[in-house]
Amino acid sequence: MTTAERPTYSVIGTRPIRPDGVEKVTGKAQYGADIHLPGLIHAKVLRSPHAHARILSIDTSEAEKHPGVLAVVTHRDLPNAADKIEELGESAVNVKEVSDNILASDKALYRGHAIAAIAAASPHVAELALAKIRVEYEVLPPVLDVRDAMRDDAPLLNESRRTKTLMTGELSEKPSNIATYNRFAGGDVEAAFASADVVIEREFTTKMVHQGYIEPQTSTANWNSDGTLTIWTSTQGAFAVRGLVSEVLKLPINHVKVVPMEIGGGFGGKLPIYLDPVVALLSKKSGRPVKATMSRTEVFEATGPTSGTYIKVKASAKGDRLTAVQATLCYEAGAFPGSPVGAGSMTMLSPYNLENFDLHAYDVVVNKPKVAAYRAPGAPAAAFAIESVVDELAKHQKVDPLEFRKVNASRQGTRMVNGIAFPRIGNEEVVEAALNSPHYRSPIEGPNRGRGVASGYWFNGGMQSSVVVAVNTDGTINLVEGSTDIGGTRASLAMQLAETLGVPYDTIRPSVVDTDSIGHNDVTGGSRTTFASGLAVFEAGMDIRRQMVARAAKLWGVAEEDVVYESGVLRCLKDSTRQLTFKEMAAQSARTGGPITGKASLLARGAGGAFGTHIVDVEVDPDTGKVTILRYTAVQDVGTAIHPSYVEGQIQGGAVQGIGWALNEEYFYDETGRLVNASFLDYRMPTTLDVPNIETILVEVPNPGHPYGVRGVGEVPIVPPLAAIANAIADATGHRFTDLPMSPRRLVEELNGLA
Amino acid sequence: MARVIIPATLRSLCGGSPQVDVEGATIGAVLHALDVRFPGFYGRVVEDGRLRPELAFALDGEVVALGLHDAVAPETEIAIVPALGGG
Repeated sequence: MTTAERPTYSVIGTRPIRPDGVEKVTGKAQYGADIHLPGLIHAKVLRSPHAHARILSIDTSEAEKHPGVLAVVTHRDLPNAADKIEELGESAVNVKEVSDNILASDKALYRGHAIAAIAAASPHVAELALAKIRVEYEVLPPVLDVRDAMRDDAPLLNESRRTKTLMTGELSEKPSNIATYNRFAGGDVEAAFASADVVIEREFTTKMVHQGYIEPQTSTANWNSDGTLTIWTSTQGAFAVRGLVSEVLKLPINHVKVVPMEIGGGFGGKLPIYLDPVVALLSKKSGRPVKATMSRTEVFEATGPTSGTYIKVKASAKGDRLTAVQATLCYEAGAFPGSPVGAGSMTMLSPYNLENFDLHAYDVVVNKPKVAAYRAPGAPAAAFAIESVVDELAKHQKVDPLEFRKVNASRQGTRMVNGIAFPRIGNEEVVEAALNSPHYRSPIEGPNRGRGVASGYWFNGGMQSSVVVAVNTDGTINLVEGSTDIGGTRASLAMQLAETLGVPYDTIRPSVVDTDSIGHNDVTGGSRTTFASGLAVFEAGMDIRRQMVARAAKLWGVAEEDVVYESGVLRCLKDSTRQLTFKEMAAQSARTGGPITGKASLLARGAGGAFGTHIVDVEVDPDTGKVTILRYTAVQDVGTAIHPSYVEGQIQGGAVQGIGWALNEEYFYDETGRLVNASFLDYRMPTTLDVPNIETILVEVPNPGHPYGVRGVGEVPIVPPLAAIANAIADATGHRFTDLPMSPRRLVEELNGLA
Repeated sequence: MARVIIPATLRSLCGGSPQVDVEGATIGAVLHALDVRFPGFYGRVVEDGRLRPELAFALDGEVVALGLHDAVAPETEIAIVPALGGG
């Protein structure tokens, strides 16, 4: 579905082959673990076997004597860091907490927390030597659940931590595992409840889940003899790694070069650093390049999943109107503060034009790994809660659930709970497209079958991008950028450049380069790259057009305003016989002023948030509890689909991850804090055999903040699936599930009164 | 005159108002003007001469990286919101 606002393009909206495709499908693309340097040695990390323990001593002396061991590091090798939040250009972090997560200092705060690392001639030798490190622990009781951690008598992860009220900075008197508290409020919730037709109150829980990227974290470092450091790593942000490593190791930023390798998935999980400073220190100590690659168990136990949550919602309706929502959101941050509860609380009511709301948000530390971003971080759990209750309200009021959403939809000018008014958004268009979709208009028939819908929102980001565009004398172009390509951004940026310059897509060769070779680029996260780096590409393209116009004017002896650049051709307005193609002008660059290079570095403004509405049909086997997804349609406002295939791929991928989160995935801990399903055998992610084709409907409501109308598309699609599937199961079984995952065991227990 | 959207947990400082109109040519001046009317406001959101890192400004609906010296156009709507990131 395309709105009347969308102009006609020649390259945008087509589906060319991705520039990195051949290298990937032939196995030649270089991922982090493919780096082999002369003299390379290998590192392994000793991790805490306890979920909560005081570290009394670490004795590495025997390990250091082990044959083949070349270096050992512990937290004592990390420079002291101030226990305060520092701004690192694109994000604010507590460097001491980052440092403590990389190598534990006084306490191990989760099972798998890194304690020490060894570099040796081979991974096997390093692993053997780990057994010779003696760590004396005082084992402490762990706290693993967010509600347990909030109790006054809960074991404290950090005895000096006070609860900070986020917007005021006030600290609680007593220490607590609640790191921050925040509230959003508007209107009069109690009055709305009092006058409502119906008030529904429900409690929801979700478990920690992992992004499940295929490629584990890996990093290789070479500490050069001149004191500079080079890191080859798998990351969503080479500049973020550079900034964090330089801060943690107290190095000047320009002493650290980060080379981003091809990435085997991230979804937010490859924004933090884990191994990079460790291999850097080992390289410094050993004088050799050092590589470390995590095992799958290490990835599960020691990198950042997303939060487990407890969310309580009370909501009311009058007629077909949603009249008030009161909610308490408690998110597990893991071992250090920083859950995405802020985003969860800010997004949960975004699909609605709602006057009365009162949201309380708690960020809570527990003895589990520090959470990381995961696709629209915080939003899916919040949407699971509110969209389940909205479904109940609509059913109670005998209103079609999509009609209910349409009537109550947010639109341009509607204020979010944080007071910000929406610019042009496509929420209504998305709900309308869902209502009119072939899927929704088809019947759902048969026993144990049901249909569910849900909506979701994500902000999408802007931030900083830099690109350089070099025009070659044969008319080909090198596009140099610094944003990790996760979802096809080399193609989407090259397409925007081709559109801007009016040249064929395949004349442009895009490259993602290291941090020494381009200006600063923020992370590939927040669904920002096609938008923000796209803006930079557009600016660089316009820069080239201006240069070419100036040169053509000089060649033809006319004023610049007498030259126009249209569809890759320079034309003289004073003499229609005079024209030069882009390629012809490129060939003359040496004679008209030298190389033609366009550049842009910017802080992108005008990011456009986006909405999605999903429709799902399920069949529930009452004997086995198995939920089969019969049909799934994802409708989303994508702004302008630069490369529709990649947009569809993002939507399908997000929906499938949401299906896994809804039905199977969970971090399953025993009472000691041991993750008992730390492998892909036991951590059940959906495969192609588990899901049908995810049908997509691209609604294009161009973002007015971008010359081509781009909105981020990668995160929204994981927001609605949890609730959509819960609503479908409720429709099929008459039983509302409020705890994730809705696994076969849980369904059988609940449906048969065995819970 | 700029319009400042007051976060819920700061409204008690501002007599319960969800929004306040104040004069100010820069972000810092707006916050100082708020502090004159509602003593203590400035110290709640500014730390070490900058907006607390946990917070962010939204100007006319868009969260932007700003310092206290950045200019504010008349009639600008300023919201103080939690800082956040995506995945």
